[in-house]
Amino acid sequence: MSRKAIKLVAIALILNFQFSIINSLQAQGILGGHVTGNIQFDGQISRRDSVIGSDNVPEKLLSNARADILYTNGNFSAGLRYEAYLNPLLGFNSQYTGQGIANYFVSYKTQTFAVTAGHFYEQFGNGMTLRAYEDRFLGIDNAIRGLNVTYRPWNGVTLKGLVGQQRYYWDTRGLVRGLDAEISLNDIVSNWNESKTRLTLGGSFVSKYEGDETILSDISGYKLNLPLNVGAASVRMDLAHGGFGLQAEYARKGQDPSIMNNYIYKNGEALWLSASYSQKGLSANIQAKRVDNMGFKSVRSVSGEMLYINYTPSITKQHTYAFLSMYPYATQSTGEMGLQCDFIYKFKKESLFGGKYGTDIHLNASLITGLDTTVIGGKGTDGYTSSFFGTGDTYYGDISLEVAKKLSNKVKCTATYGYMIFNPIVEGHEGDIHHNHILVGDVTWKINRKNVIRFEAEWMASDSKYDAAIDDKRAGDWIMGLVEYNFTSNWFVSFSDQYAYNDGIGNYYNISIGYTKGATRLQVGYGKQREGIICIGGVCRQVPASNGLTFSLTTSF
Amino acid sequence: MKQIITTISLFACLATLLVSCDKIPQEEYVVFSGAAGQWFDGTGVNDHSQRALIEKYTGVRCMNCPNADIAIAAATEQYNGQLIAVAIHDSSTFTRPIGDTPRLSTDDGDAWSKFFGVFAAGEYPTALINRSTNGSGWDLFTPTSGINGRADDIISQQAQVAIAVDANAGDKITINVNLEFLQNISDQLTVTLFIMEDQLQVTQRQPDGSDDNNYIHNHVLRDVITDIWGADIDCTGQTGEKRVAQFIYDNYNKDWNLHNCHIVAFISNKESRQILNVAECEIQ
Repeated sequence: MSRKAIKLVAIALILNFQFSIINSLQAQGILGGHVTGNIQFDGQISRRDSVIGSDNVPEKLLSNARADILYTNGNFSAGLRYEAYLNPLLGFNSQYTGQGIANYFVSYKTQTFAVTAGHFYEQFGNGMTLRAYEDRFLGIDNAIRGLNVTYRPWNGVTLKGLVGQQRYYWDTRGLVRGLDAEISLNDIVSNWNESKTRLTLGGSFVSKYEGDETILSDISGYKLNLPLNVGAASVRMDLAHGGFGLQAEYARKGQDPSIMNNYIYKNGEALWLSASYSQKGLSANIQAKRVDNMGFKSVRSVSGEMLYINYTPSITKQHTYAFLSMYPYATQSTGEMGLQCDFIYKFKKESLFGGKYGTDIHLNASLITGLDTTVIGGKGTDGYTSSFFGTGDTYYGDISLEVAKKLSNKVKCTATYGYMIFNPIVEGHEGDIHHNHILVGDVTWKINRKNVIRFEAEWMASDSKYDAAIDDKRAGDWIMGLVEYNFTSNWFVSFSDQYAYNDGIGNYYNISIGYTKGATRLQVGYGKQREGIICIGGVCRQVPASNGLTFSLTTSF
Repeated sequence: MKQIITTISLFACLATLLVSCDKIPQEEYVVFSGAAGQWFDGTGVNDHSQRALIEKYTGVRCMNCPNADIAIAAATEQYNGQLIAVAIHDSSTFTRPIGDTPRLSTDDGDAWSKFFGVFAAGEYPTALINRSTNGSGWDLFTPTSGINGRADDIISQQAQVAIAVDANAGDKITINVNLEFLQNISDQLTVTLFIMEDQLQVTQRQPDGSDDNNYIHNHVLRDVITDIWGADIDCTGQTGEKRVAQFIYDNYNKDWNLHNCHIVAFISNKESRQILNVAECEIQ
């Protein structure tokens, strides 16, 4: 056979093989699924401003980009995420620098069984033993790469099991194993099915393994005898009766000396309670928690927000207005106690306070303190003892009252007053406790179906004063104004300015313009960003000062 | 209902097994390490030689690694004790044991590999001599050639500090490190101790793709005795200063054959990580 003939035969065989694969995939229905996804690009250009403390960016342009692609076909799904940090935006860890497929998985899910191989996110209960999650805004991705199985052997019983390693920027670290069980008693006890009282019980067990390493004790010539397997367990309940609800979770963790707790051997524990009542036009909720040495990471020597296995629920309000969120509270997993009350009420239409359209009020108060502890040693000891009901220093407290009222079919007003106390020790540095009074006024005027304009004014009086030695640029008294105009349903433009008029420094103006069409949104902004901290659910990251242009593009398909 | 209780009970048993975490008794929170010996004035070091340490990152599934072993063995013989070699097995796929043979990887070696960029580069064998740098970073190279040029550059220099080490085994291994400063050094220095073992018969993939079940691995890193970045040296760094410290090591694996083990001590710059001098001894 000539060479040409051999080539032709080879090509025919390859084509035949490819067609066979395609036919086979079609026969299995795999090619009949559908693909969805979303793409996001954020860019930043920043230059030096000595007043606010921003620096020139050597790369001129920083960018974060990602594209999520999801393929689903019946019970089967598969996905991947491409990420590129070239180089990361200011405030994102430089270890993200690079690009590649950061997340991939295949999953098969039925009514009773689900299995995911690859990267996955998971939470047991409130997350006090395990919460693998992602928050792209904070730059946190604790995805687990491994195997995750959910099994529902009977209606009302859910069992979960997982094993894997956690994402650490472009690497994976640690070894995490976990089991969770949840039982809805109303579903499995036949004569409880119709009961107005509903009770769900759950429990979870998580352990991590990490190899030995040399960590010197404070005693010369001695090192720490490290536990290689560290376990955490929790039990939880969820009780509901009519409008009443009661939830509780208690977690314990074994000896886990780590950089977070200065390598002490004390066991960890956490208790979270929530009681609520709701009916039409009214809801009330009270939450309490006590956390003692519950930081749980898959690598003992890593600080920062990466590689957390668990999560301690935040019980402070997630404020949205600028000055109310200027001093956010960062959950102290090493130890804290807290209480939060939340009350929402709607005055009915045509009532004394309701007027023509009704009036909404939202009252929220929270107080977080440290634990009452007695130090018994340092590294390589049990560290301290703590009184269960004793409280230590005040870390954070706030009370806010928000009143929202519609004045006419076109105008809605919201007025908010907040008082806040903030101890800078929660951000890791000493200093006087700040006391802030904040007032916010927010008016939205719907001019017509396509044109809406919003005005916002904020004022904050604080007893903090700018000190160059501490260089906290949030200090001082502030005023702010914002105008936001949405027009033609597609375009918006906004202008805002924050100015420290007393005992502070900085004038932070921002202008942005955006266009939305369908699932695509493009936004360009120019202005100054104050150095500070942003927190979501008590998890925080540092935001450095910046001065320049930002732009973002998001789309989905 | 009975079925549910049985299933939940089984699940609970599995969970209990899973969370059976290590419980360290209070009196064992800290253990004798010898990792940070106390420094005293010493009597000096007789041998003022400048030596070099070649760290070879290797793996049993790395086909080209036996060639590197040959080149390194020839070089260490040629330099007659002035070039000390250590073979480091990190956690790369090349270190996955072939068949039912022991894994030679160590967490400490893996940490070094990741720090120096060997693991990320994924090329084996890779070597580094005295943790030197070139224009673009750590001077990593393939040690099938290029050893002599690099070693000559280091060994031909006059030592800034002389080092000697001796070790004696009883219930524990007692290690004495002597230093003598031959030049003024103002930087913070550390001494790092590690133990390595010769004559380990472990299957190794060969350049032709076959597996040699009788392959002998020498100078295999077993454990870093100090912290992986060393223990601080308490000294002024003035020329003529002589310091000595004793380190106690009781954390060794009793399966190691101490007759085939060596202790290596090297002095490095705490900031730059670069090695100034190194010494090796058998365990008496």
